[in-house]
Order: sequence, then C-alpha cells, then structure tokens
Amino acid sequence: MSYRDYVTAAYAVFAAVLLWDYVVPRLRIRQLLRSARLLAARRAAASSASEAPAGELPR
Amino acid sequence: MNPVVRWFHQLGSPPYFDRFAARWAPWAYGIGLLVMAWGIWQGLFVAPADYQQGDSFRILYVHVPSAWMSLAVFGLMAAYAAAALVWRIKLCEILAMACAPIGAGFTLITLATGSIWGKPMWGTWWDWDPRLTTELILLFLYLGVIGLYHAIDDRRAAARAAGLLAIVGVALLPVIRYSVDWWNSLHQGQTISLLGESKMDPSMLPPLWAMVIGTHVWFIGSLLARARADNLWRESGKDWVRKLGQVPQ
Repeated sequence: MSYRDYVTAAYAVFAAVLLWDYVVPRLRIRQLLRSARLLAARRAAASSASEAPAGELPR
Repeated sequence: MNPVVRWFHQLGSPPYFDRFAARWAPWAYGIGLLVMAWGIWQGLFVAPADYQQGDSFRILYVHVPSAWMSLAVFGLMAAYAAAALVWRIKLCEILAMACAPIGAGFTLITLATGSIWGKPMWGTWWDWDPRLTTELILLFLYLGVIGLYHAIDDRRAAARAAGLLAIVGVALLPVIRYSVDWWNSLHQGQTISLLGESKMDPSMLPPLWAMVIGTHVWFIGSLLARARADNLWRESGKDWVRKLGQVPQ
C-alpha cells in the first residue's frame, strides 16, 4: 500500500476520537449513578439516626 | 391524543428520557460501529487505489463523513437551541449541548485527517485556504459553545447563552459549504453528490456511503449517552435518580 503511514495515521485519529466519544459519557454516567447511590445511602443513614429511641445520645 | 404526540410529550419527562436513552444508545453505538467496520474494511482493502493519488485517497473514507457530520451536527445543535429558546423545552437544551462535543470531535477528525492527506498530496500540512480556515473557525465555535455552557453556574441560563452562540454560528455553515465555489481554493470542489451524479468512480462509493450512514448512527448513540449524562446531572438529588442509583447498571 502506498502512503501507508499517512493512511494509518488518519484512521488512528478517527479511531481515537471515536473511542474518546464512547468512553467519556459512559464514565460520566457511572460517576453520576455512584454519586446518587452514595447520596441515597447517606439519606437512609440520616433518617435511621433520627428515628433512634429517646434518651440515646446523638452520634 | 395521537400516540406520536403523546410519545413526544413523554420524552420530555427526565425519567422517561433516561430510560429511552439507556435502552437505545447501546444499539445505536453497536449498529454504527458494525456499519463503519464494514465501510473501513471495504475502503482499506476492497476499493481500488486511485490512479493519481494512490492509496492516500483512502483517507477520504474517514475525512468526508466526518466533515459532513461536523456541519450537520452544528445545524442540529442550532435547531435544538432555537427550539429550546422559543418553547423553553429543557430536553432540547440538553440535546443541543450534547451535540457540541460530538461535533467538535468530528471537526477535529476532519482537520487532522485533511492535514494528514494534505502533506503527501499538496506538500504541506496546512494552508490558509478558505475551506480549511472556515472549518477551523467551526472548531473554535464548537469550543466556544462548550466553554460558554460550562462557564455559567445556572444550567438553564448557560444553555440559553451557548444556544444563542450556536444559532448565530449557523451563518458559517453555508460559507464552509460554498467556500470552494466562492473563492480560489486549494481544496477540491464538490466530488460526491447525495442526489446528483458523483465524480468518483462507482466502485469507490459503497464504503463511503457505509461510513456516512455509520457515523450518523454512531452520532445518535453518542447524543443519547451524552444527553443522558447531562440529564442525570441536572436531576441529581431527585428521587428517581436516587432510585436509579440503587439499581445495579
């Protein structure tokens, strides 16, 4: 194949940008769902603490 | 109510859109990737070499579809931004802003692959030619939209400001398209036509059309995924997002 290096470089740029385009939103969604999970756990812990029997010292 | 109209209204609901995007984005990515894989295979190993350019012409199979996408995505972004400004549809703001990084990516591919092709064919990596220069301005416009969207804390105000920039920037699209006709340009004129007869040999066309279709379908997947991420971010703290966080993805 003539101009092999140029052709390879062009297709590598194309593949790299598409890979970035695929990975970035997936990572962002994963991070947001993780944050949502942590927030839900924190709120559940806070509500169970507020339901503690009278006389118990708050933590 | 008409089922299509009802579906359109449902799609404006953030939880419904999240389910829709989560379901269809992987399909669009997968189909787009398969079609592009076929196009790349045909373009690299089956299509005959050009009688003048040799194998360097194979770069056009990634360059031309990306260039078309860079223009089409900007037009779509401006259309979503206009709809968001006129009708105050939050989903349109999200979709408009999701278009920007994808369009910027395709513009970057266009400039980089054009430059790589230009070195052996024109003898230079870059020339301040009207087509190249206007495409570079398009990249700066995309970066401007992205930067403006992230520079303002209020998401809705940010989307409106960035959307306005996108609407104004649409004026650049015909300049890019017709730059090769209006000015003396090093860049070649129109070779491939969607409706009329193309100047390329028919044996070279199937991989190109496959790449054009593949990049469009890929774009749908990417748009859904990015819009889903932005939608989750804006809605973080709402009950439906917290419940979603408890479901293993």
